[in-house]
Amino acid sequence: MPLNTLDAHHWLADHGDYLFRVARRQLHSDELAEDAVQETLLAALSAQTRYAGDASPRTWLTGILKHKIVDLIRRNVREVEIPRDEEGEEAVDRLFKQDGHWAEPLRPWGNPQAEAELGQLRRVLDECADRLKPVMAQVFSLREVAGMETEEICKELNITPTNCWVLLHRARLFMRQCLELNGFAKAGAA
Amino acid sequence: MKWVLRCRDATELASRAMDERLPLSNRMALRFHLAICENCARFNRQLQEMRRLFRSQTAADDDAPGLAPAARQRIANELRNKLGS
Repeated sequence: MPLNTLDAHHWLADHGDYLFRVARRQLHSDELAEDAVQETLLAALSAQTRYAGDASPRTWLTGILKHKIVDLIRRNVREVEIPRDEEGEEAVDRLFKQDGHWAEPLRPWGNPQAEAELGQLRRVLDECADRLKPVMAQVFSLREVAGMETEEICKELNITPTNCWVLLHRARLFMRQCLELNGFAKAGAA
Repeated sequence: MKWVLRCRDATELASRAMDERLPLSNRMALRFHLAICENCARFNRQLQEMRRLFRSQTAADDDAPGLAPAARQRIANELRNKLGS
């Protein structure tokens, strides 16, 4: 069923916020996320005759969005020198002693079940991810949020597997520390 | 990779294991280290918990901010231009 003008305007009203949140969570920038939504809807307009109607419009749009997100990251990825980035290296150095053991013991995390508490933790999760360096944050989110395979990420962004692992390792170390400092650490198991 | 890992190396392997199947020797070395090192075992569990939280989060039902009005207007204009052309 071809979609008409009216439907296209409904896309923005019905799915704009949703697409923006998905994009924002992977791009860590309002501006880039807005670009992603715009490019997605424009591409969807051009492609609407190919919409078979077997997926919901939202699912279909989200599929287009995924490609646009990777495109946008690729265009911004000039600075994938991060594994050689001094500051990142030094920040990792501070987490460990000279002999390679942890500088500080890791504190256990709580095990929240209540939805409100989980919501709070998810907000902290997003805030911590936003604090990573842009490219690191984006690669990390393609992996952990979008669930893309590492191999696919490396290939799409033209990063060597080794650099990809270094980026992800650092991102995970920084994320874990940020989460511990911002409310994840509790008495209890995790 | 040595058999006896330093924590720093162990976190590297634990991280990589989140992304792909490690070679056998690495896998054994990591498993051995995690069995004797409480901090790294915790690190490993927390990586998995982090992923679980990220992936159980859906954009549809959360209260993160949506599109800013100015951006929405801009996108609406772009769509209108494209439709008009």
